[in-house]
Amino acid sequence: MTALPLHPDPAPALTLPPLGFAARRSRVLGVVRRDFAALRRSPIRIFEILFWPTVELLLWGFVTLFLRTQRVPFVVAFLLGAVLLWQVLQKASNEISIAFLEDIWSRNLLNVQVSPLSSTEYLVGLVLFSLGKVVFAVAMMAGLAYALYGFGVTSLGVGLVPFMGVLLLLGWSLGLVGIAAVLRFGENAQVIAWSLVFVVQPLAGIFYPVSVLPAPLRAVSWFLPASHVFEGMRTVMAGGAVPWDRLAWAGALDVVYLALTLALYAWALGYARRHGKLSRFGD
Amino acid sequence: MAILEATRLAKRFGPVTAVHDVSITVAEGEVAALLGPNGAGKSTTLHMLLGLITPDAGTITLFGMELARHRVEALSRVNFAASYVDLPGPLLVQEVIDVFARFYAVRRPKERVAEMIELLELGPLRRRRLMDLSSGQRTRVQLAKALVNAPRLLVLDEPTANLDPDAGDRIRGLLSRVARDSGAAMLITSHNMREVERMCDRIHFLAEGRVVAAGSAAELAGHYGAEDLEGVFLKVARG
Repeated sequence: MTALPLHPDPAPALTLPPLGFAARRSRVLGVVRRDFAALRRSPIRIFEILFWPTVELLLWGFVTLFLRTQRVPFVVAFLLGAVLLWQVLQKASNEISIAFLEDIWSRNLLNVQVSPLSSTEYLVGLVLFSLGKVVFAVAMMAGLAYALYGFGVTSLGVGLVPFMGVLLLLGWSLGLVGIAAVLRFGENAQVIAWSLVFVVQPLAGIFYPVSVLPAPLRAVSWFLPASHVFEGMRTVMAGGAVPWDRLAWAGALDVVYLALTLALYAWALGYARRHGKLSRFGD
Repeated sequence: MAILEATRLAKRFGPVTAVHDVSITVAEGEVAALLGPNGAGKSTTLHMLLGLITPDAGTITLFGMELARHRVEALSRVNFAASYVDLPGPLLVQEVIDVFARFYAVRRPKERVAEMIELLELGPLRRRRLMDLSSGQRTRVQLAKALVNAPRLLVLDEPTANLDPDAGDRIRGLLSRVARDSGAAMLITSHNMREVERMCDRIHFLAEGRVVAAGSAAELAGHYGAEDLEGVFLKVARG
């Protein structure tokens, strides 16, 4: 073995000041690099990013082809636009949960939790990486939708960016709720992390207008940022203007939900530490 | 100078008292052990010292900083390895060490990764995935991760538990050299009494969540009238 490259006093020479910006950036990028490396080394996971969205796109694409023969106005574009934007919400939610769950599955959570990586840095890293995956998957789907069905996502106009932004924030909030559930209830709560986003699906008027919902559910729908995105999408596709007032309301709801879910995550992490649950993950 | 001071730690999980009134001090450069039978509270104590479990009572000070208030600064100078913890399986060896170098905000991560690969003799394995390595090889990668920030305190929970005698002996030799050459303190749990006798300056015996004896291996053997540490262990474990 070689001479030990160890340092008598590592703080000034070997490592950056732990609370400085450079150290924080190093830790956040560490999370991104880890998740990217894990993805790159797992061809099945790369396949999975594209598989389900493509299946969904094909399914709804053929439905729209059928509806086109029935001369149903606007429905073709509505459904394809809805499928694309739904993927933004679903992937934003699931990717952040999966990144956390993978630390549990690989029995690496303790290594992460005893490192100087703060909760904020950890979450920012997860969010950045999930953003990359969402953009990649949606870009691939948008290309497919154009190639197969002649649907151009740019038909959503300038509203596309805020539509996606609102859905990303909501998806990350839902992902955080899933993580908090696992921290609070243990690994059995993984099903919540996977399925929570599907609770939103029937209420948010993704594939149909909110007006078809019964009155009590319409009231609930008003408080879902996603409802305003999908209603706004249909308005734009029908030739209307981007409903900025609805988007502003949706954005405000997103900010409130994100603040609440961050507080929930912090509480759940504290609960897990108080009850020794972190130590038992992966046993 | 004490780099770790834990005072009157207590932890209950429901009706079970896991740790009761445990105080431990580890001095700079000291190699200390936490011994005891299964369920004695060793891992719970270690996990409190690392901030994984919040104590019900007591205080933990690392490098003069209270852990609860200075978590990031304190944990920057600590590292950890355990037989029951793993690293991300799909990553290459060099990627895993690089990721943790960044978690610990190492200034020149690539250089440091190369140093760790050389130190732990991981050169031939550096482009292999963790999931494809033997348990002995994975333990070496875990130690590379645990040494990547040149910790002032290294916490090791049964570091050689899954290793054959040869691999275990190599790891013990390496850890002894780390302690000697770097001046880093270590806090170790182990069920291998020879390992503890060989490596540790001071031993804390836990039973039913309490520290029941503390001292060097020779002091404890003398106190309990035992031939060696294994004899002490049996006397403590059997009451």
